[in-house]
Amino acid sequence: MSALVSTASLGGGYRPGQHAIEDVSFEAAGGELVAILGPNGGGKTTLFRALLGTLPIVEGRCELSGRPSYVPQTERSRLDFPVSALDVALMGGYAATPWYRRVSAAARRRARAALDRVDLGGHAGHTFGELSGGQRQRVLIARALTQDADILLLDEPFSGVDHASATHIERVFEELAREGRTLLVATHDIEQARRADQVLCLNRRQVAYGPPGETLGVDVLKRTYGDEMIVIAPGVQAIAVEHHEH
Amino acid sequence: MQRALLEIALVAVLGGVLGAWIVLRRLAFFSHAVATATFPGLVLADAWSVAAQVPALGSGLASAALTERLSTARPRSPDAATALVLVAFLAAGVILASDVFESGAGVDRLLFGSILAVSERDLQITAVAAVGLVALSAACRRSWLAAGFDADTAGPLGVDARRGDLLLLLAVAVATVVAVDAIGSLLAAALFVLPAAAARLLTTRVGSLQAAAVALALLQGVAGLWLAYELDVPPGPVIAVLGGALVALAGLAAALRSRL
Repeated sequence: MSALVSTASLGGGYRPGQHAIEDVSFEAAGGELVAILGPNGGGKTTLFRALLGTLPIVEGRCELSGRPSYVPQTERSRLDFPVSALDVALMGGYAATPWYRRVSAAARRRARAALDRVDLGGHAGHTFGELSGGQRQRVLIARALTQDADILLLDEPFSGVDHASATHIERVFEELAREGRTLLVATHDIEQARRADQVLCLNRRQVAYGPPGETLGVDVLKRTYGDEMIVIAPGVQAIAVEHHEH
Repeated sequence: MQRALLEIALVAVLGGVLGAWIVLRRLAFFSHAVATATFPGLVLADAWSVAAQVPALGSGLASAALTERLSTARPRSPDAATALVLVAFLAAGVILASDVFESGAGVDRLLFGSILAVSERDLQITAVAAVGLVALSAACRRSWLAAGFDADTAGPLGVDARRGDLLLLLAVAVATVVAVDAIGSLLAAALFVLPAAAARLLTTRVGSLQAAAVALALLQGVAGLWLAYELDVPPGPVIAVLGGALVALAGLAAALRSRL
């Protein structure tokens, strides 16, 4: 299948002369789930911004052959905002609606179907901020489905998500990939990355790109995580220790 | 009195519709600052005997533009920028009123409103602004909703958040300026923040928040006007006190509801 996402020597950042990512070159085909693996501050969200065209400074080549949609971490949203799960899913229909029109009945149907798909059809009228972290994440995925995106950029979708929601989200990802969509999933979880089709190891610059069996060796992981990694059994297992900034 | 009632009703509708966004987008301090910053313009209009809205709008918009400019300068501190502009414009107005034009007793009227003295022309200007701004609010609803929910993802959703935010700031500035003749530059927040703040405590959706804010603002405005007439006191402060009482009652109702 042809590439839906293609970059070559992609770099960029927020201020001139201070690149947050450098030299990212990869191709992702339709139907592929690509894990973007790296530590906090490694440039995963910045890469997504570059792909979406919202990064102030971008260098190199970046081509998307399809409609992208960004699924942020739920805690970035205003949880006190008076919107229902359906209101949020409906936001996926905004781009196709001129300012002088109401959101179309077709978009409303799409939003409801998207909520059904993430198993939240019964929660359409619930206030977004009152849902659990996993449910909120699924609502944001439903918003991307309402957009009918070909390329989904998912920023740490499993972060702070309960086990039931995580299992459901993984199942939805598999279905979406089977439909020919490309999923780029930012994660710092090495085990999560092992289940992806391709892994892009990123620590401000691209460390490796390829199938998990080829990329997730201790050497690459050490270069990806640096001091944040602990090797439990050399050559066998490694885990990344997350440092949260408070 | 009839004109005053109509004027307060129009301002209340504006206060409810835009107030909902002011509260949701955390622009209460900004709206208070813009209304206060109309003071130098009002002093000039009073001294030159011209329609108050034009210089007040100039003064209010200049303050809004300055606040926006200072807010985006590094290090970012929007509240400090708003406070700086508020104080600067208020001080300029006081100097103009006391030392340049010697406005005397008229200052009270400018700061706290004179709704019983609104002219036919004031009413027409408020009506035109109310229709225009309610229409703008409807047109921008999706943009303000998406950007308020999560500014970072509004762009990828096809929403021009920057343009929407500028229109919101402009709408708030224009609305508070047209309300100044009714309740004065220092008390404009009484109708633009308090009814929506009370409604926010009782509602869970944007639509119901706006409807409740309009209803509370109308109740507050009309009841305040009537009370002021009966008690023979200035309407602006009475309307503001009623607004505070409504917020307190709404808080009490919300607390009781959460216990049930």
